[in-house]
Amino acid sequence: MSDLISIKGGRDGLRMRFDDTADWPALLVQLEQQLTQNQAFFNGARLTLELGERSLDEIQLSELLNLLQHHGVVADALSANARAARNAARAVGITARPLPRYADPPPGTPSLAPESEALLLTRTVRSGQVLRHSGHITLIGDLNPGGELIAGGSVIVWGRLRGFVHAGALGNAEAVICALELSPTQLRIADQIATTPPRGSGPHVPEVARIEQHQIVVESWENYKR
Amino acid sequence: MARVITITSGKGGVGKTTTTANLGTALAMRGARVAVMDADIGLRNLDVVMGLENRIVYDLVDVVEGRARLRQALIKDKRLPELCLLPAAQTRDKDAVSPDQMVYLTNQLRTEFDFVLIDSPAGIEGGFRNAIVGADEVIIVTTPEVSAVRDADRIVGLVEAAEKGTPSLIVNRIKPRLVNRGEMLSVEDVIELLAINLLGIVPDDEAIVTSTNRGEAAVYDQHSLAGRAFLNIARRLNGEEVPFLPLQDQPGVLERFFGIFGRRRT
Repeated sequence: MSDLISIKGGRDGLRMRFDDTADWPALLVQLEQQLTQNQAFFNGARLTLELGERSLDEIQLSELLNLLQHHGVVADALSANARAARNAARAVGITARPLPRYADPPPGTPSLAPESEALLLTRTVRSGQVLRHSGHITLIGDLNPGGELIAGGSVIVWGRLRGFVHAGALGNAEAVICALELSPTQLRIADQIATTPPRGSGPHVPEVARIEQHQIVVESWENYKR
Repeated sequence: MARVITITSGKGGVGKTTTTANLGTALAMRGARVAVMDADIGLRNLDVVMGLENRIVYDLVDVVEGRARLRQALIKDKRLPELCLLPAAQTRDKDAVSPDQMVYLTNQLRTEFDFVLIDSPAGIEGGFRNAIVGADEVIIVTTPEVSAVRDADRIVGLVEAAEKGTPSLIVNRIKPRLVNRGEMLSVEDVIELLAINLLGIVPDDEAIVTSTNRGEAAVYDQHSLAGRAFLNIARRLNGEEVPFLPLQDQPGVLERFFGIFGRRRT
């Protein structure tokens, strides 16, 4: 997302990682920018803050939380190695824990784009349920009306897509949406919005939605692959 | 030990209370000891539908707050001695009871009955959560309408999130004639969307209106199609394999008349 703040998604939800050493006010400015730019992705999100070695006092943390809250983001937890930061989190009522030890890639290996992380789910996403992931989402199952999938990358639904999907929600206009049955209430790719005209209940073919000339177009999988 | 089953829907007015009253009665007719509990505190109905309104002395909130023992608040049915009602309070609201108190209450009922049926309020807030917190199983009632099915879908998600397992489904008030004309969602459409186990299909039946107004369950009425459907659901709850009723209602006179000519066009 940016060099100082990165978003990672996993089965347990989103994590927002802050650079350890950068100037704190500068970080907040960049965060504000990111939240404004990617409003579609962040509004309504719940995430874990990862502070690494950085220490924050209560005032700095409240400032951060206020900024997030202003953009519709709720921080559920905080992980940090600095005890002071964990104490500050507990003081404002957030679960705090030490940073989990992720194996850092050895220096020199090319860093993977956030979209390279894909989430695979086998379930029905029902009305009122929202799945948000910074990378691609593959859902094996139906997305029912009233359910939402919001992805930084592409979205594949191996089932009936009848709900709301936003692919490329962090700005990626190359993202696509594929489904065995594409009958969404609304589709979004990057900053484009499309609704589908009501169709008869005829047989459905697998379809792909993508952006072509600043517009979302939908075509059958058979045409798309040619 | 009893099975505690909550009957809920999300949307209001789809037939939760009617379903609770009829299933409770049907189960008791088959010899089970049944308690039905009205968890719709502040908007109680179950007592009215069962015709027991005038016998209420104590209610659920009285028990929870220690003014009455559970025994005192339970009302015996007019006909079936094995059927009891625990009425809701009418003058309080949903906040009068906590989830812990509901669990305690259902566990008390468990020891004395074979089935405890809980009639849930509509909605997804505290009242609904109280109604499912003590349950072993959940039954969702829906009508074949897009809005009711949408709410049912939301409820399925919430019930699963509350770790009550996958609920089973009753499709209420189906009108075969409208379904055949493609003007109403079919049971298949509903099942396809909700992807949960179908427990029963209850046809739309005017006899339900008169039976609820009289305070007598439809399952007593041999001629009521809905009553027969509820009896079948009760048998399925007991683990019997019962085929679904064939869904054909009598065509109206006009339709029969137009049917002769209508067929040519198709």
